[in-house]
Amino acid sequence: MSAPLYQLRGVEAAYAGEQSVLHVPGLDIARGEILGLAGHNGSGKSTLLKLLGFLMNARTGSLVFDGGLVDHAALRSGHLLRRKAVLLGQDTCLLKRSVAANVAYGLKLRGQPAPRQRIAQALALVGLDFAQYGARPWMRLSGGEARRVALAARLILDPLALLLDEPTTGLDRASTEHVKRAVLSARANHGATLVIVSHDMAWLSSCADRVLTLEEGRIVGGL
Amino acid sequence: MDYFSEGFARAVELLLSLDPETFSAVWATAAVTAMALAASLAIGLPLGFALGHFRFPGRRVARLFVDWMLSLPTVVIGLIVYALFTTRGPLGEWGLLFTVQGMGIGLTLLGLPIIIAMTATAVESTDVRLTETVLSLGADRMQLLFATLSEARFAMALAAASAFGRIVSEVGIAMMVGGNIKWHTRTITTAIALETGKGEFATGIALGIVLMLVALVVNLLVALLRRRAGA
Repeated sequence: MSAPLYQLRGVEAAYAGEQSVLHVPGLDIARGEILGLAGHNGSGKSTLLKLLGFLMNARTGSLVFDGGLVDHAALRSGHLLRRKAVLLGQDTCLLKRSVAANVAYGLKLRGQPAPRQRIAQALALVGLDFAQYGARPWMRLSGGEARRVALAARLILDPLALLLDEPTTGLDRASTEHVKRAVLSARANHGATLVIVSHDMAWLSSCADRVLTLEEGRIVGGL
Repeated sequence: MDYFSEGFARAVELLLSLDPETFSAVWATAAVTAMALAASLAIGLPLGFALGHFRFPGRRVARLFVDWMLSLPTVVIGLIVYALFTTRGPLGEWGLLFTVQGMGIGLTLLGLPIIIAMTATAVESTDVRLTETVLSLGADRMQLLFATLSEARFAMALAAASAFGRIVSEVGIAMMVGGNIKWHTRTITTAIALETGKGEFATGIALGIVLMLVALVVNLLVALLRRRAGA
């Protein structure tokens, strides 16, 4: 059995100038696992996701990712870690470009080509048609469409880990189903590990292998 | 009303006949505006970006200074530049007083704070969500800088258009530093002031028409950019 993708031990995290908002004594996330995170607002779900996406550092404890200890030296090249673990945050925005340019942007950052067919496939995964949406500018999208474009922009990268913070907020039932299919296909096609935060417990349970509940920055339960 | 209609008719005649004196002022205005705008952009865009993007000690003081520069009356800027360039001034030996280059420097001081302040605001307002978005997609620090610049492009173009509007219509600095010398440093605005004082309304109106057309184009551009920047 292969080692977990993430191993957290005695991890505490806090925002600058604040007391610790996250305490994780121990957490392993297996490769290819779909892990759900539930809990009330302010319970530490998004903070845990940012920690896993290397957008914030642990104050204490150790975090091992893909077999390597994430220490200060590793974080100096944080973009290399973030290219493997890609986050779709709650506050994620689109760039002031067309839909196709937004979806291709992450590949461009990696110096990879972004053929039209690949962009179309990523958009199809979230239920958007390239012919209809590809050239559309960012400001002519509804909130739900923008959210799905942002998800497509991450799916196209085939990351080791995909971290999704409330990916179905503002989406109708059909779009929510598209997101579920996209999540499952990311694992089936590329063996991606997914960590998903959602308030929609029914939807989360239908996607995830297990769901952890957080309360006041601590994991208090799991299904 | 004849007074106006005759003035307007003569103005159209001057413009259609490409009157050399009228167009001398138009070309002087174009030259000095292009010079001042280019310098304001070259210096102001990087400074505005740094002020909006980076957190450094003294940043708030720097911001206050730029805002203070924005509110300086143009005659005061003209006075300072005049004092620097006059033969008895510290830069008098450069011989820039009553030259197009001297006017360009004076007008750069007018445009520069506009570019810095608006660019800084544009960069600040895009930073909050953009930084996390771009970093989460795997950008390194340089890529983040370029992405931020690229996202602020409409707002920065708006800053350029605003500075252009202010520079092209300025009269105080142009008059004091340029000296309103015919065929040389006489711009549209200083010519209007002079011709009106002499009772030559036709020339004044002709030049006013040119300035109003420029203002109309700039305002249309600003409205378009504001819509795109705010979208």
